[in-house]
Amino acid sequence: MTDEQLPRTSEFTGSLMRGMTSRRTSRRNVMKYMGMSVGALSMSSILAACGGDDSGPGGSGEPTAGTMPDYSAEPGSSLNFANWPLYIDKARVDGETVYPSLVEFTDETGIAVNYEDVINDNAAFVATLTPLLSSDQSTGWDIIVVTNGREFETLKQNQWVYDLDPAKRPNFDANAATWAKDPAFDPGNKHGMCWQSGLSAIGYNTEMVNGEITKLDDLMNPDIVGNNLVGVLKSEIPDVAMINLGIDPKTSMEPEWQEAADWIQMLKDSGTVRQFYDQGYVDDLVAGNLSASIAWSGDVLYYAIWEDYPFEFVVPEGGAMLWIDNMLIPVNAENPAGAYQMMDFYYRPEIAQLVTEWVLYMSPVPAVQELIAAHADEVKDEAYAEDLRLTAESPLLWPDDELLGRVSLGRNLVTQEERDAWDAIFLPVFEGS
Amino acid sequence: MSDPGVATDLAEATEALRTPPQRGGGRTLGRRQRSVPYALLAPGGVYLLIGFLIPLAIVVYTSLQSGGLLDPNGFQFTWNWSNYTDSLTTYGSFYVRSVQYSGIATLAAIMLGYPMAYWIAFYGGRWKSTLFFLILLPFFVSFVIRTVQWKFILGDNGLIFGPLKDLGWLPDDFRVLATPLAVIWGITYNFLPFTVLPLYVALERIDKRLVEAAKDLYASKFEAFRKVVLPLSFPGVFAAVILTFVPATGDYVNSEVLGSPDTQMIGNVIQDKFLEQSNYPDAAAMSVILMLGMLVLALIYAKVLGTEDETLAAGASGG
Repeated sequence: MTDEQLPRTSEFTGSLMRGMTSRRTSRRNVMKYMGMSVGALSMSSILAACGGDDSGPGGSGEPTAGTMPDYSAEPGSSLNFANWPLYIDKARVDGETVYPSLVEFTDETGIAVNYEDVINDNAAFVATLTPLLSSDQSTGWDIIVVTNGREFETLKQNQWVYDLDPAKRPNFDANAATWAKDPAFDPGNKHGMCWQSGLSAIGYNTEMVNGEITKLDDLMNPDIVGNNLVGVLKSEIPDVAMINLGIDPKTSMEPEWQEAADWIQMLKDSGTVRQFYDQGYVDDLVAGNLSASIAWSGDVLYYAIWEDYPFEFVVPEGGAMLWIDNMLIPVNAENPAGAYQMMDFYYRPEIAQLVTEWVLYMSPVPAVQELIAAHADEVKDEAYAEDLRLTAESPLLWPDDELLGRVSLGRNLVTQEERDAWDAIFLPVFEGS
Repeated sequence: MSDPGVATDLAEATEALRTPPQRGGGRTLGRRQRSVPYALLAPGGVYLLIGFLIPLAIVVYTSLQSGGLLDPNGFQFTWNWSNYTDSLTTYGSFYVRSVQYSGIATLAAIMLGYPMAYWIAFYGGRWKSTLFFLILLPFFVSFVIRTVQWKFILGDNGLIFGPLKDLGWLPDDFRVLATPLAVIWGITYNFLPFTVLPLYVALERIDKRLVEAAKDLYASKFEAFRKVVLPLSFPGVFAAVILTFVPATGDYVNSEVLGSPDTQMIGNVIQDKFLEQSNYPDAAAMSVILMLGMLVLALIYAKVLGTEDETLAAGASGG
């Protein structure tokens, strides 16, 4: 195989390559445990940063206008891209792992991309950058991928990411889905553009659950899910609970948060919950240690479609949470022009297709759906074609208006007071006594 | 009755060995020679300063701050003692649980480790080093990976319980994961080398002829062990307990990987506060409390069970 044979139509980049590259587990948890062992290191560096200066991180005072680098400048010859594990198309050529979509980018622009899957957890990753950002140093990254929420808000409010120039993203303007444009947490996509997106709802093992799960309350019914067999993602459950209690998270305040916390306490008291996870739930689902879990759509779909596990991902009657992972350019990045060029490059449908066929999350480029369907028709290997067809037809990858009407981006906590109040309500439930 | 005498003689002999020989008669040392000990201490001193004292000062400083990442003023040093009082009132039970888990695990590790170390030291013969190396072998694998593999071994339908359930020997809802037992099990397993190492060194140093002498004096095998071997190995036991108990109390990986919401240890809370909530002041305050608590417990332990001499011996055998 040569690089020329790599591109999208090659069947070798499909199931065969999947088998040859290592078996995937959740992109969110693979590296996480390794992160634990280096946690101590990063902690000391963070402490050094917050201890060294009274104003500390966040001490930017009144928000000022963000900074925008010169995106028209000649891009540098290389860029550093930090992403989550198993979140991009991969292939194996002559024993080496390559990322076909990045290969195409390099071929076209001459910009070499150093791609590292170092992000295992938004909070932990941003925590390692905080001391650098607060002391106005380069983080070494030109692109980072951060989910909407707490850390995104921290980066945005402290102006630790560059503003994007709305005039310089033709592919994004032409191809981005409506839900990916102008999200509430980042008006006008001023700071970021969606890499991939997904839903937080319920994933379950049909062989371990009695009947079907249709609503969130089913998770607290031992007759359906069994005792001690339910996983709960700490970061997602407050919003998911509110959505299913009929509360709009966006406008929610302390009384509604308390209502959600009470519901979570009920869930915990029901005896069905096994563990509150930061991530890592998918390993337990796969091992049969969990019958059901609050889950991220792509994790469950991967096992359901590509590995033929008896898994279902359901959006409960009340609705689900939608999250968006955003490509951002940290301040003092060395190659912002190249980074921005690459961000827009991924909004070409044929490039976005490469990623989606691999990661099974929601693509911000709706045109990809037809391309995958067409790819399925071209492919000769029947099993591979079937998997592609399932991918192209999954309502969870290509949500219709009905589904989009039932999802919410969740509560965006924009002040320290809100954050503290939220933590004061939810942490005691997670931590118990 | 002869045992105390043996012990005293041994102590004297040890003391004699420890007293440095007089160098160069009455000749005074030159300035350069006098500075040598300090020069030798310098790397360690610098290491302690940079690697321990400065970070410690920063932790204490941070623990008295208030504010947050989204606070317009960021973090501010405000002598915020409430970080301490709040942490203690809210998370007191987590400290207690951590000490319990780690205490039980330490005890279990000693019970497991002592016979192993004893057998290798006394009967290992020329295989001693090999056997000892075999004990340490699993620990060349990363701590976290080793913990995660217990998830597969102890899984509800995993290597052990899956077949037993299929045979109907265990009820279907039997599990060990997500219970305190799993967490204590994980801690015991992970810290075992810290227990075995000092025990082995202490036991290996015991003069085997003392046991023979005891037997010559009509001691049974058990008496010889109880009156000769056990007392002589106490410095090792002391070091083993400290080296196991102190780091195990702050551990959070075992609880995170093998536990449930009801088995959270103080390390889990500190980690959450630090990395997930970016609440550095609270995390720092809780770390300081943990550290002081451990220090107090260790001092009490040393006072009650150890002597200064044994601490020294333990330190020596540890190296």
